[in-house]
Amino acid sequence: MPFAKSSFGVILAAALIASATRGSGSAAEDRGSQLLRQGMEAPRTVSYVGQLETVRFSSSRANATIVRIWHLAPTMTRRWYLAPEGLYNDYIITRGSSSYQFDTKKSEVQISHNPVLDDQVAAEDSLSRILTNYRATIAPGDIIAGRPTTSLILVNKFTGERVMRLWLDTKTHLVLRKEEYHGNGAVASETRFEDLRYTNAIPRELFSTDAPTGFVQVAGRDYAMPSADIDRVIHAAGFAPVEPTNLPQGFKLASGDATTVNGVRTLHLTYSDGLRTLSLFENATGAAADFGALRPLTIQFEGHDAQYVEDGPTTLLTWKEHGLYFALVGDLLRSELLEIAKSVVP
Amino acid sequence: MTEHLNTALLIDYLRRELPPEDDALVLAHLEKCPACRREYEIEVSLSDALKTAAAREEFEFPSLVAARVWEEIRNARPSPLAQIAAFFRPSFAVPLVAAAVLAAFFFATPFGQRGLTPKINAAYYLEAHAAQQAQNPLDERGPAAAQLIETAALDTSAPTELADDVNQGLAAPSAFDAVR
Repeated sequence: MPFAKSSFGVILAAALIASATRGSGSAAEDRGSQLLRQGMEAPRTVSYVGQLETVRFSSSRANATIVRIWHLAPTMTRRWYLAPEGLYNDYIITRGSSSYQFDTKKSEVQISHNPVLDDQVAAEDSLSRILTNYRATIAPGDIIAGRPTTSLILVNKFTGERVMRLWLDTKTHLVLRKEEYHGNGAVASETRFEDLRYTNAIPRELFSTDAPTGFVQVAGRDYAMPSADIDRVIHAAGFAPVEPTNLPQGFKLASGDATTVNGVRTLHLTYSDGLRTLSLFENATGAAADFGALRPLTIQFEGHDAQYVEDGPTTLLTWKEHGLYFALVGDLLRSELLEIAKSVVP
Repeated sequence: MTEHLNTALLIDYLRRELPPEDDALVLAHLEKCPACRREYEIEVSLSDALKTAAAREEFEFPSLVAARVWEEIRNARPSPLAQIAAFFRPSFAVPLVAAAVLAAFFFATPFGQRGLTPKINAAYYLEAHAAQQAQNPLDERGPAAAQLIETAALDTSAPTELADDVNQGLAAPSAFDAVR
């Protein structure tokens, strides 16, 4: 049966080719995932001195930040601000979850605590979510700050959109450059090292948190560790919250926190797909947002007068409905946030 | 007003009894005429001396008489009309009206629309969001998010033209050049 023989041969060949292709694709994906993990973990093992430049784009302007940075692995970092002008000469020392922000114009040091800054479990969760929702594809890198890099493109598995591109140092895997993109392909932010030197010989005095003479010590924000036990958080909030029914694919409720802000019991729910985070704040005591120096714009959706402001690629949208006041914050396009807001129906 | 000022005019000026236009003319003349200024200063000192002398000559009201007058005042019972009128004195009426207005405000205004309801600073939302995002090791804003939000809010510079291009995906690969 020559036909049977030849068809069997063709099928066998096709199966072998398919298997080999799948195997090589899977291996490449594994390598991308491994590289991503190495990039996320690099700051815990690599010490360096460098200059980091960031530009965050909103719909009408770009905010640039230039920081001289000293990092001593695993968790000590000093950031000295050269730009924007309003932060010039100010510096921030981070030691684990504590931050000491030295305002040289006001001569004060503000001490804040944010447990998530040094939470390895949360970092691991982030990586797990990223790998669930994104495909990490390796691409040719460039020379960044004089160092050869390997590039990693993170593509959303549901939409096929490129959401982030990283350039990792080929040897240390430190992320030397990062670009984030909106759903429409526009650049949301770009960060890169302009100058970098790896060294462990960083004087410990640089990380001293002692207040210089004449500085006043003031308490900053003391963030609570967000909880994954949402039922307990909702109970602590003291009112029945509303959740969005329409979230971008891959976003899931990650954590919650009930806290009192200016005497108002406020619920903060955090949704994430690993790379991007979305915050929904709710209060039932009629406390609207006070925009202060921020200049909000008004927008209408489904009969609601909503207000929004942009902070770089981050948009804050606030509105009220049936006695509940909502604030939605995320690095998403305004149109995407509006779609989510429409699905928050009390 | 080229001539020197006469004494009557100076006294009227001193007592602020001149019409505004004459008062201004006298003031202007005094500023440029040393002789009249000297005359004016003499009038000022003379006036002060007279006031001091008059004060010294004031007689004390006899204490016994004063005591009897005060006793009469205390013993005098106000008429019913005067008592009602006293109720509307500002010291009584103003606090009463204020209390009534506050009560009306608190009990008549629907819950959730009161002006005294606390507000939440919008920057808090941005900061709390940034704090959560900081758990992602790929986030670069770190603990400076609050300051960056504040600085961006105070930034009154003109919008960057290139940003629109960037948002339309038309920007050059190195968007840093736009802000350097």
